[in-house]
Amino acid sequence: MQGPNEKGSCVAQGWDYSPNAGYYDELATAQGTTRLHWRALMEALKASGPEDLASRWKEAQRLIRDNGVTYNVYGDPHGTDRPWPLDPVPMVIDPQEWAGIETAVAQRASLLNSILCDLYGPQRLLTEGLLPPELVYANPGFLRSCHGIRVPGDIRLHLYAADLARSPDGQWWVLSDRTQSPSGAGYALENRLVSTRTLPDLFRKTYVRRLANFFLSYRETLMSLAPGHRENPRIVLLTPGPYNETYFEHAFLARYLGYTLVEGGDLTVRDRRVYLKTLGGLLPVDMILRRQDDGFCDPLELRGDSMLGVPGLVEAVRAGTVAVANALGSGAIETAALSPFLPGLSRQILGEELKMPSVANWWCGQEKPLEYVKQNLARLVVKQAFPGTAQEPIFGGRISAAERDELIARIRATPYQFVAQEQVALSTVPVWTEEGLHSRHMVMRVYAVPSGGGYKVMPGGLTRVSSSLDTMVVSVQRGGGSKDTWVLGRGQEKEFSLLKPSSQTLEVSRATFDLPSRVADNLFWLGRYMERVDSTVRLARSALPLLSQETDAGSATGLQAAVGILTALHFVRDAAEAGGPAVVNADLVSMIFDSDRRYSIGRIVHEARRLAWLLRDRISPDAWRILNRLDNDFCTRRPAEPFHLLGATNLLDQSIITLAAFSGLVMDGMTRGQGWRFLDIGRRIERASQLLDVLRHGLGNQVNDESGRLAKLLEIADSSITYRSRYLTTMQSDLVIDLLLCDEANPRSVAFQFARLSEHIAQLPDSGSLSRRSAESRLILSLLSSVQLADMDKLMEADGRGEWAGLLSLMDRLAADIRELSSVLSSSYFSHAIPSQQLRHF
Amino acid sequence: MTYRATHITTYTYSEPVSICHNEVHLRPRSGYRQTLIDSSITVLPDPGHLFSRTDYFGNETTFFSIHEPHSRLIISADSLVEVRPATVLDPEATPAWEDVRAEVRAHRGGAALEAFQFVFPSQYVKAGPEFATFAGPSFPAGRPILGGLLDLSHRIYTQFRYDPRATTVATPVDEVLHARHGVCQDFAHVMIGALRSIGLPARYVSGYLRSNPNLVGAEESHAWVSAYCPGHGWLDIDPTNDLLPSEAHITLAWGRDYGDVTPVRGVALGGGEQLISVRVRVAPEKASVATD
Repeated sequence: MQGPNEKGSCVAQGWDYSPNAGYYDELATAQGTTRLHWRALMEALKASGPEDLASRWKEAQRLIRDNGVTYNVYGDPHGTDRPWPLDPVPMVIDPQEWAGIETAVAQRASLLNSILCDLYGPQRLLTEGLLPPELVYANPGFLRSCHGIRVPGDIRLHLYAADLARSPDGQWWVLSDRTQSPSGAGYALENRLVSTRTLPDLFRKTYVRRLANFFLSYRETLMSLAPGHRENPRIVLLTPGPYNETYFEHAFLARYLGYTLVEGGDLTVRDRRVYLKTLGGLLPVDMILRRQDDGFCDPLELRGDSMLGVPGLVEAVRAGTVAVANALGSGAIETAALSPFLPGLSRQILGEELKMPSVANWWCGQEKPLEYVKQNLARLVVKQAFPGTAQEPIFGGRISAAERDELIARIRATPYQFVAQEQVALSTVPVWTEEGLHSRHMVMRVYAVPSGGGYKVMPGGLTRVSSSLDTMVVSVQRGGGSKDTWVLGRGQEKEFSLLKPSSQTLEVSRATFDLPSRVADNLFWLGRYMERVDSTVRLARSALPLLSQETDAGSATGLQAAVGILTALHFVRDAAEAGGPAVVNADLVSMIFDSDRRYSIGRIVHEARRLAWLLRDRISPDAWRILNRLDNDFCTRRPAEPFHLLGATNLLDQSIITLAAFSGLVMDGMTRGQGWRFLDIGRRIERASQLLDVLRHGLGNQVNDESGRLAKLLEIADSSITYRSRYLTTMQSDLVIDLLLCDEANPRSVAFQFARLSEHIAQLPDSGSLSRRSAESRLILSLLSSVQLADMDKLMEADGRGEWAGLLSLMDRLAADIRELSSVLSSSYFSHAIPSQQLRHF
Repeated sequence: MTYRATHITTYTYSEPVSICHNEVHLRPRSGYRQTLIDSSITVLPDPGHLFSRTDYFGNETTFFSIHEPHSRLIISADSLVEVRPATVLDPEATPAWEDVRAEVRAHRGGAALEAFQFVFPSQYVKAGPEFATFAGPSFPAGRPILGGLLDLSHRIYTQFRYDPRATTVATPVDEVLHARHGVCQDFAHVMIGALRSIGLPARYVSGYLRSNPNLVGAEESHAWVSAYCPGHGWLDIDPTNDLLPSEAHITLAWGRDYGDVTPVRGVALGGGEQLISVRVRVAPEKASVATD
């Protein structure tokens, strides 16, 4: 398709863009020229060429994947963790046009806040007849238990979002209001971080306005509205948990704003005050930034059928000891039914005309609108007026005459429960694909926070695009995409970010005592699983020579030892029982390549990644990237048969390096707080028990000095070099066992792990005193002294049957005690998992 | 008549509860056919502090938490209430039910606006069209509202079987309408649903009944219905016993349905299995009997 080819045209090699007439196009005018404010962007894109954008874009997508920018799709078993869909071409807005949007959105936020304050206070809007009472009385989002609660600064909307759409004549309209816990601001920020890294020069040249200031205001506002006016109020971000659709955003915002990310179970109410349950005890919470819907915040006073929230929260808010942002009950005005009344309310409350109209809505609770809806059903979208009803919108034009009659009958029965909306011909915007630019419909979500008596609007937003030109449904849940939103400024802004430079990796906790017990639990298990991956990789690698046809006699005993360990740990079947060495070889290949197999490395990596996923707000992007890469590596398909050995060697060698990078990050980058401590305790416990398994199943029962076997054990335990540098001698079983079991100087010995554990346990909040030792300190004391006091000569003596009876029984006892230590630690520190229940009532 | 009402709720747990938070509606309202003379709420183990407030509907609500491990929770409410007989109304003197509906729908004036909120569905009373069908025969065109109320109450009384084992607090109201059995709470909800489905405001009243072997619902907490009648205020009616409450009914609290005025609710951490027992005793106070 060819358009005019003079300067300003949007046609260039690979950049053909011909939007559909009939819609307003953001980039191109009806004449086909590029709008002024898009020119710098388009010219720069053209100048660098589509190949360049393609390669930059590949990089951006890697960034999105590595940063774990995801959203979850409900009702889809594979729906957790979809990569966030971002289009490389930003949505661009002209400064003057933005000024209009900005004042209109700020005005609307103020208006909605005043309406909320009235509904939860004097309700003059009802008694004076300014708002039909049905909108409150019939609205399940109006929470009677929150009526009369005072909120600091009369602010109930701490974050407001509006979805804006542009009609064919170029006019902006408000499609809907988000007043409860608007999502997307974090994704907008993440989009920005990606697009500045993909198009950095362009970003600077075009004077795009920065977002950081907005978040700074948000943080200042929350701080100033925290009750009690403590100098440094404790603010937490309450998430429903990792399975929520926008959990990534919760974790991301918590990190960005510097708040602790908590789930309902991390908070408890005592004496009408909210506390955070941490390892160090209960810490008072002053403000809760919630990403949980109203109804789920308190099972006592709000929805009793959910245990997600914090029992007693409403009473604490009522007592004024804690504030919730947005205020509980603010979902009441998240309804299209309110919008027909906003122009009048704006005049009444603010004494101003409403600056941006809402898309035409007809609330059926009144005679005239109801009549209109009945007459014009075919061109309207009918929706439930109130939140909480999971009914899909009905497009009047797409249903049969009979269905339309049935719908009208339903509306007539309870007219106040329906609202009909005009279908807007949404504007279009170019999206980029490998084949060039295509136009898609778009909706722009913009955000406002209270600031200086009014509202301040984020200079940017989250632009979402439809999945095709045929649908006006714009939703990431439904396969749509997103764009960064560039509001052009008039000059350079100072660069500034709330994010700490990413070299400060794996920051586990701002204040170590803020560590919720749940997080300590997850870190502990992450430590265990990472270590388990490490030892299993080494074990599998040590058995790889099985796959090559040539093995000499000397290495055969070593391989036998490795296979013995693998068999005892269920990774491979017993050759004798399962029908020959071929089975063992097949199992070995399978444990390396088949991540759906129960006993496989991939499965352990998955588990480690799952734990890290639960800890995304605690783990640095770098560490997360490493885990993601490792998980990807073990998910790739196995190579063809002749390349099994080569593929496995490469994969395992590479993962050892990747794992070293992870522990390097942990050791070097993580603050030495309780979080790090629990991660390391997990690692030590796992390493000790893995070593004991290796020795127990690798040595064989009979006393022997087979050098192949001993060398293999050293290899698995990563201690070969230490042995050689220390003893400069041939393999001797007592020396090998001493090095792996009792030598506190060898970081790969059992004794070394016990010594570290002993130090850690002494530092735990409940380690007890000298006169009264805690169970965990008693256990570690006994473990450590057992290896310190071990008499190697006696242990190595053969009993009547020629077996290492003393050694084996010592190792069995150590293995049992270390298991016990793990469970004692769990019950002392992580016993937060007791479920709440409703009392039965009568 | 002055009564002493004692209401004891006991929870026994198979495993200790470490924390519980509770909200109770156990203090009788004043001003509506009755005056609260004295009342006390005692909780074991001692929560230290009871926080009372007036809820959205004007009832007194009490909140408390227990932070020490316990295997049993006892909540006792003891109230001294003076109850006055209800005014006897001639059903024919009350307005036609359509006029009531129209007045509330227009909701001019505070009382009608206040009544209007009791027309809409609520958590426990989500009445479908079958409720309007059920209400129909009691409300022919032009019938005075009290006549309709009495007829509807009588039909529930005669057509529904009282059966404490048939339903639980979670049984949906349309199931009760269909199966025609339940307890006072279910009957109240059915009647409220029927009234709302034809546009009449109705609220749920939680309370006690003077201990009397002839009445159903004594010895436990009781519930009935109140319907709005312009010019006369709210009219109480008890479909479980098919009568207009008077001196034998003590009002605790009212709301849209059971969920607004649940006598005792709570959330406990731990506890395992729970057993609940409720004992209510309402007896005329001797001193007042003498002066009556």
